[in-house]
Amino acid sequence: MEIFANLWMGFGVAISLQNIFYCFVGVLLGTLIGVLPGIGPVATIAMLLPITFNLNPLSALIMLAGIYYGAQYGGSTTAILVNIPGESSSVVTCLDGYQMARQGRAGPALAVAALGSFFAGCVATLIIAVAAPPLAEVALKFGPSEYFSLMVFGLIAATVLAHGSLIKAIAMVVMGLLLGIIGTDVNSGVLRFTFDIPELSDGIGFVIVAMGMFGTAEIIANLEQGEAREIFTKKVTNLWPSKQDFKDCWASVLRGTALGSMLGILPGGGALLASFGAYTVEKKVSSHPERFGKGAIQGVAGPESANNAGAQTSFIPMLTLGIPGNAVMALMIGALMIQGIAPGPQVMNEKPQLFWGLIASMWIGNLMLVVLNLPLIGMWVKLLTVPYRYLFPSILVFMAIGVYSLSNNPFDVLIMAVFGVLGYICAKLECEPAPMILGFILGPLMEENLRRAMLLSRGDPTVFFTKPISAAFMIASLILLVIVALPAIRKKRDEAFAAEDA
Amino acid sequence: MKIKSPKDFWSGLMFTASGLFFAIYAVAHYQMGTAVRMGPAYFPTMLGGLLAVLGVVILAQSLAFVGDEGKLHLPFNIIDIAIAVAIYVAAGYMAKFAGISPDWVILGATAVICVLTVIYRPAARGLILISAGCVAYGYLMKPGGLVGATAALVYIGALGGHEFKWKEVTILYVILMLFSWLVFVKGLSLPFPIWPAYFG
Repeated sequence: MEIFANLWMGFGVAISLQNIFYCFVGVLLGTLIGVLPGIGPVATIAMLLPITFNLNPLSALIMLAGIYYGAQYGGSTTAILVNIPGESSSVVTCLDGYQMARQGRAGPALAVAALGSFFAGCVATLIIAVAAPPLAEVALKFGPSEYFSLMVFGLIAATVLAHGSLIKAIAMVVMGLLLGIIGTDVNSGVLRFTFDIPELSDGIGFVIVAMGMFGTAEIIANLEQGEAREIFTKKVTNLWPSKQDFKDCWASVLRGTALGSMLGILPGGGALLASFGAYTVEKKVSSHPERFGKGAIQGVAGPESANNAGAQTSFIPMLTLGIPGNAVMALMIGALMIQGIAPGPQVMNEKPQLFWGLIASMWIGNLMLVVLNLPLIGMWVKLLTVPYRYLFPSILVFMAIGVYSLSNNPFDVLIMAVFGVLGYICAKLECEPAPMILGFILGPLMEENLRRAMLLSRGDPTVFFTKPISAAFMIASLILLVIVALPAIRKKRDEAFAAEDA
Repeated sequence: MKIKSPKDFWSGLMFTASGLFFAIYAVAHYQMGTAVRMGPAYFPTMLGGLLAVLGVVILAQSLAFVGDEGKLHLPFNIIDIAIAVAIYVAAGYMAKFAGISPDWVILGATAVICVLTVIYRPAARGLILISAGCVAYGYLMKPGGLVGATAALVYIGALGGHEFKWKEVTILYVILMLFSWLVFVKGLSLPFPIWPAYFG
């Protein structure tokens, strides 16, 4: 079996002392920022990107990936104990997890969340190993028109899955595409929208935009909300779930893993969508739906498995197509590019050790996370008592150092501040920043592929609908748009997101 | 006409204005080319046009329907934004004609905006002071070294929070300073100056 040979090779690389160390650093940091509300994986990974320049590509990816799936573990701790989502994807865990904690069953809730996540992580790792190679094979045959249509599909899917107004999300994507164009045009060498500012000739750094929109904007929003945190200080006892608990939740874990893995692969998907989907499914199939919201263990097991599975399978489009499905994957692509690796289907063949090493490290990382999150839970609970007025200046310092070190240029920090203000205004106007970030990273790629496709077709725009694969993506995008525009489904979608605001 | 959904109204306005700006600027400054051989203006003009159309639709919606997203609470208004932009533009011209280094001019303009905010728009304190702290960090790194830049960011940023206690913030500053020095300068050997330029 080729897969096993490949996985074996992957483990061989991932188990080196250096990679184990960076894997540990990644999952530790991930748990840390997962536990702490107010800082998410996007801002953290953006902060660390400049530092990864000094690492080898595999260690860098292993560490950054660890932050993302580690955050899914950590987020559930805060959700269960404090009733605040430490991570946006653990919003639904608050519903039943916190109720379980109030009934004195915080231990089983935490254990089920961690074990469910571990199971989901293992399965998702296997899914990546099985599904990615054939997908990359197909993707190698893609021409510019296929890539363009795929990106259209990805961006549309991202807007459909963003919450709030659909048309605003599309406008944010277009805004991101336009901002992505700033800089030197590769075809003509013309400087576009640089306004004679030399620093803009290379374009605005993606990391800077992400840190402004997700980092500083988030801090400002948190400060406005004020510090209202009531911590569930009672000691966590009786960690191990009872036999009945296991009986109740094993099916939920399976369903959550399956659903999460599927939703993670979709462009625009990932951990957040997966957990919402899983909660809805659990409530639907349960014979006691009235127990949900009152401490049903299935309401913790399903979503927590799903968000971890989703977080991991969202690597598939990034690794095989070179197309980011969410903001974290966009940063991963940024990390590859910093290392001088062009993301795309060729990565798997040209750098098999990178690809399989990363996959193997996910399994190792998940194992470390179980240890970090179950026996050491007390440490994380303590951390929750650190007040925000110590945290936010620290986060600011790390962000400022990270951005400044990109090119030792104060202008970068200025741009970060500008995007922080823009992110704040967008949040106030209910415009989602995530679609904009996707547009921003895809802007230059889309233009390049559009130009090539049109050149090859001699200016005939119907090429996007006459080539079969390309046409399929275009039709899928149209169908998605129509579905969301239909009032009935629109209502359902609003309901799903209303649960989050509650 | 009455604005029924202010959030949609202002975002629509923002999208329309940015879309038109990008499209018009591209047409005016760059070559359009043809569909076969696209010039540098082609893609931005298309996108700018699309953004403007989307913006107009959102604007129209905001006048026709009540949004279900609640009231808009911004701690500043559009005139404040205009004033802030005017201050930076004026500062830019000052730098050009008076021959002052643009770094100091940006720092000065940012300081003026901070003072104005604290006096006239206390609700926007968090937003402005946090952003200003970052700007100060960047522009003070060369003249002030890591010691000066971190001080500016920690103290200005902390002022943007709810509570400000000199003792607490100073301890935090010393810890963050030592941590930055150990991890970033010693550990990762980033080429930052430690002390202000006039001492070292």
